Amino acid sequence: MSEHQGFMKALKCRECAREYPLAATHVCEFDFGPLEVAYDYDRIKKSLTRQSIESRPKTMWRYRELLPVAGEPTVGQQVGFTPLVRADRLARQLGIRELWVKNDAVNYPTLSFKDRVVSVALSRSKELGFETVACASTGNLANSVAANAASAGLKSYVFIPSDLEQGKILNSLIYGANVIAIKGHYDEVNRLCAEIAGKFGWAFVNVNMRPYYAEGSKSMAYEIAEQLGWRAPEHTIVPMASGSLLTKIHKGYQEMMKVGLIAGSHPKVYGAQATGCSPISTAQRAGLDFFKPVKPDTIAKSLAIGTPADGFYALKVMRETGAAADDVTDDEIRDGIKLLAETEGIFAETAGGVTVGVAKKLIASGKIPRDSSAVICITGNGLKTLDAVQGHCGKAREIKPSLREFEALLADEEKVGS
Amino acid sequence: MPTKNKKKAATQSCSPTQRRLWLMYPPKLIQKPLIWELGQQFKVVTNIRQASVTDEIGIVCLEVDGERADVKAAMQWLEKLGVSVEPVEINAIAS
Repeated sequence: MSEHQGFMKALKCRECAREYPLAATHVCEFDFGPLEVAYDYDRIKKSLTRQSIESRPKTMWRYRELLPVAGEPTVGQQVGFTPLVRADRLARQLGIRELWVKNDAVNYPTLSFKDRVVSVALSRSKELGFETVACASTGNLANSVAANAASAGLKSYVFIPSDLEQGKILNSLIYGANVIAIKGHYDEVNRLCAEIAGKFGWAFVNVNMRPYYAEGSKSMAYEIAEQLGWRAPEHTIVPMASGSLLTKIHKGYQEMMKVGLIAGSHPKVYGAQATGCSPISTAQRAGLDFFKPVKPDTIAKSLAIGTPADGFYALKVMRETGAAADDVTDDEIRDGIKLLAETEGIFAETAGGVTVGVAKKLIASGKIPRDSSAVICITGNGLKTLDAVQGHCGKAREIKPSLREFEALLADEEKVGS
Repeated sequence: MPTKNKKKAATQSCSPTQRRLWLMYPPKLIQKPLIWELGQQFKVVTNIRQASVTDEIGIVCLEVDGERADVKAAMQWLEKLGVSVEPVEINAIAS
């Protein structure tokens, strides 16, 4: 790789295509459009082959030429290459020929797909000379920044709304992060965090490092394609918060075709939201190319972004590829979590319930054909959102320490079952 | 309101600031000259960098320069009218 910028060429405005140096910056100075990393795909094509990838350790970094670091990764070297599980039992329940679950509920080290984006953002931050990293988050991102910064010896600041649950705060505090709770409405906290990000010269992973950070999501697409035997799936269903994951999974498949790792095809990436926060899916169903901001009200807190930054781009990708989006109620989210757990033994957080629930709807409506193959992306672990299913999974049956009592319980069950 | 605002702002803060914002107008406000009014009511300099107007939503990317308290008051005035005001990053808080 090139000593200074690896296989990256520049940062490029997604609106006007103006180019910028590969620094810690995120918006175009001309029209404030978001910046994205542009790569030298001709060089990547010469360097990256199926054989070179297969010879490397099973982590997300085996595709490092397609990730925005100049040299070898220095943070989160073990992240990624999570299981792609053939989900026949769930497929039967949803009525589709072939179904797979990409399980980032077991991603290392903090059990969510955020470890992918954070390891990229922090590796790049170190290359750019930062010693302090930061983020503003209500959950998974905060945990991942705190953990990955700790392992890399970086100082970290995590900004959270002051009304966040204690358990979520503890999951960041344990790693020694400086956790700052900000009082006020979400919008006020959001604006203050943007201001802090601009003022202190830190690597704010999802603000000034966002062009690099967001690229980490592509690794999920690379892994899916490799694990399927070097092909893109026909249909991929992903949860949408900001909408970034959907655009990056799409970009990941397109890049693999561009550099010749997989054959050309037309993979579709579908978006899943909670009905209580569904600006993108509502716009998609209405055939609009813009969304209207909403006030979130859903148990799927990790998807509760009322004004999604990449909503416009997610809608564009779905429109151009013929994909679709849908949303599910809180009860349907819980049903989705239980269905995935009971059929495949995978306990997902609420976003996973959203994705399973929406997959069911898309298959039932024929938007995803029954005689096809699909991948459901699970992005976080159910142990993080226990409150959402508490009281909805039945109860343990209590007995005395007596074999006779246990046998009586089984006999009762047989009577009920017969 | 304008004069009162300016006096109040001067005692609160004298630090100059620049904010880059996305404004989202609901349909009922699309035809109102709100950015002109903003310049009349508050001691701020506005600079439109990008805009898109449809029947259903008006989106303006706006740079606002002024004393910190004036800029903050201007943003609050827009919000009170029903305009959604987001930083240029939109989601500084992630999940």
